[in-house]
Amino acid sequence: MSNQKKKHFQIEAFKHKVVMDPKYPDKTWKILEDAIHEIYNHNASGLSFEELYRNAYNMVLHKFGERLYSGLVATMTVHLKDIAQSIEAAQGGSFLEELNRKWNDHNKALQMIRDILMYMDRTYVPSARKTPVHELGLNLWRENVIYSSQIRTRLLNTLLELIHSERTGEVIDRGIMRNITKMLMDLGPSVYEHEFEKHFTNVSAEFYQVESQRFIECCDCGDYLKKAERRLNEEMDRVSHYLDPETEKKINKVVEEQMIENHMLRLIHMENSGLVNMLCDDKYEDLGRMYTLFRRVTDGLLKIREVMTSHIRESGKQLVTDPERLKDPVEFVQRLLDEKDKYDKIINLPFNNDKSFQNALNSSFEYFINLNPRSPEFISLFVDDKLRKGLKGVNEDDVEVTLDKVMMLFRYLQEKDVFEKYYKQHLAKRLLSGKTVSDDAERSLIVKLKTECGYQFTSKLEGMFTDMKTSQDTMQGFYASHPDLGDGPTLTVQVLTTGSWPTQSSITCNLPAEISALCEKFRSYYLGTHTGRRLSWQTNMGFADLKATFGKGQKHELNVSTYQMCVLMLFNNADKLSYKEIEQATEIPAPDLKRCLQSLALVKGRNVLRKEPMSKDVVEDDAFFVNDKFSSKLYKVKIGTVVAQKESEPEKQETRQRVEEDRKPQIEAAIVRIMKSRKQLDHNNLIAEVTKQLQSRFLANPTEVKKRIESLIERDFLERDDNDRKLYRYLA
Amino acid sequence: MKKEDTVKLISSDGFEFIVDKEAAMVSQTIRNMLTSPGSFAERQHGEVTFPEISTTILEKICQYFYWHLEFASGKDREFPIEPELTLELMMAANYLHT
Repeated sequence: MSNQKKKHFQIEAFKHKVVMDPKYPDKTWKILEDAIHEIYNHNASGLSFEELYRNAYNMVLHKFGERLYSGLVATMTVHLKDIAQSIEAAQGGSFLEELNRKWNDHNKALQMIRDILMYMDRTYVPSARKTPVHELGLNLWRENVIYSSQIRTRLLNTLLELIHSERTGEVIDRGIMRNITKMLMDLGPSVYEHEFEKHFTNVSAEFYQVESQRFIECCDCGDYLKKAERRLNEEMDRVSHYLDPETEKKINKVVEEQMIENHMLRLIHMENSGLVNMLCDDKYEDLGRMYTLFRRVTDGLLKIREVMTSHIRESGKQLVTDPERLKDPVEFVQRLLDEKDKYDKIINLPFNNDKSFQNALNSSFEYFINLNPRSPEFISLFVDDKLRKGLKGVNEDDVEVTLDKVMMLFRYLQEKDVFEKYYKQHLAKRLLSGKTVSDDAERSLIVKLKTECGYQFTSKLEGMFTDMKTSQDTMQGFYASHPDLGDGPTLTVQVLTTGSWPTQSSITCNLPAEISALCEKFRSYYLGTHTGRRLSWQTNMGFADLKATFGKGQKHELNVSTYQMCVLMLFNNADKLSYKEIEQATEIPAPDLKRCLQSLALVKGRNVLRKEPMSKDVVEDDAFFVNDKFSSKLYKVKIGTVVAQKESEPEKQETRQRVEEDRKPQIEAAIVRIMKSRKQLDHNNLIAEVTKQLQSRFLANPTEVKKRIESLIERDFLERDDNDRKLYRYLA
Repeated sequence: MKKEDTVKLISSDGFEFIVDKEAAMVSQTIRNMLTSPGSFAERQHGEVTFPEISTTILEKICQYFYWHLEFASGKDREFPIEPELTLELMMAANYLHT
């Protein structure tokens, strides 16, 4: 081989001619063709793999790949056409079984063929860009069997019929269904979709349309929802057992649309069983079902929320405007709390704590609570009742729970300053009559109010508590420095700082001699240690304990107001007194005196005085006597406590007026604050800013704000711009 | 070596090589042969005849199977091939898809 002439090294082309037998390809192909026949006829055992593989290998090697491939296609096609015919011939129920069996056979044969023709698949197929054997087998199956005109529609119809009968309660062979659908999926990405899924969803839509129509005519809301839920579960079950998982969301959509979305409003508004009934009757299970089902469709929850909101607003409005309810403020507030509890529970459990529902609830409550202008007063009265007696004996945690619930209602109020005014009044009465159930509870509520509204809201209230404590200390000091007073009447003085307590007109009356002497002693003691202060006695707010002995010897201890005490003490020196005499002696203002005498003479069980004549009204000429026949089962008799009550009309007007007056400086302060930082601002924006700043206390009236602006302009705090009448500027 | 785990490879001259199935299946072709569905003769009898592969080559191939099982992952050792066997060995390898 080595050429030693020069440095030329040539390798000559292989010139040996390989003569091939011209019949070689045909002979070789025949062997393979026969083998394929045997394979399809289940006769493959005993064939030599190696021989067939070698033959195929050699064909490809000698460049007869084309022949091999096209031969394969032709042979397979022939067989598949046969198979198609035998499937078409199958009767009724065995159609699917036959199809399934032949499919399995084909797959097995295909694999064997592919294994034998592996070399061709590896080399010839990619270079000639042909479809690989396995895929080819699937395609041929698809074209010749599935797409065969007879089989195609029959297959679809059979599948749909079976599903329909399963839906109507029959049991079908799920295994075969699974195999068939899997076959469709294997045949190509869109085969399953076009041959089956598309039609499946259409037919299902029709089915559910009919069914939903039937149900809704005859079922009530709760039942209907149960049925819908059951169908949805069925379909999911069906998919998991014998359909493509991708179908799940498509069929769900169909069922949701037909059974839920199309009938949403009708279900919600169904008479006697719709949403409103469920809410009223606390049907948690039904509500929960409605929530989960409606959540699947667009706007489902929105509709529920809308109806729930308008229902709460409506029923809330009726609650607060019902004259019967308004008679008892404590009941009124209790009803509000009950309503809130009810809906909280509903939102919590069946509605899954859904925030948007919680918000809807809050806005509804805010809406109707503020429809009644007396709500702030009533809430304060409710608290007063609880702190006086309602929370007696209740453990600490429950007290906190109740107070927290009250705070919740408080937050809904738009006129929080009105509440503050009433709360101060009621608290004052409680403190001064010593009638609070728990100091801790009182303080706890103050803390909650402070957290909610800030220090300023509660500073005066805290001042009231401080005064009470200080007064205790003062009294101790007083008695310590006056040991000689031990025998006389016991005096307890509460010194109230004027700013903190609700304003009262201070009209004094004539106190009995013993008492006024004692009071003077106290006054000099106090002013001795606190120079520069002024004390004025509030005789309309105090009370006294008197030991009384009546005509028949019965002894009682009477708990009376200061005014009542003054009146009764007069009878130590006289048996009979006329109204005029009493008036002159005590100098108690007429309306108070009349009320006072009524409570002493006309209330059964407490009539320590006798009036002549026995008429209900107290007039100038009436005469009063001690009632010697007075009797009571109790030793201690309470007459006329100063209890917080719902205000009468004139009182209400007065309070409202005071509130309005108080708002004026607050509005002005807000305006000045805003203008100082902005320097200039137009009218509409100013109103908006002011309203926003004050909204934690009350809802500012734009007209009122305008008046305040005018007033500030007059006082040179602000000025109007020369060119633009709507623009304001701050004047430093 | 258990009988079930082995397979007999027979050369054109009739020499029989008994090897582990695991080793034989290094050849994709033999693997297909033994795992293909259907009851081909080879699988039934557990032996494969290669009428176009000589004894020398078949012997070398069996050696390669075991070498592959042990050393193919690393590059520690090279499989020794005598130059005069190269061409035939390559063609057999192509045939056996090894």
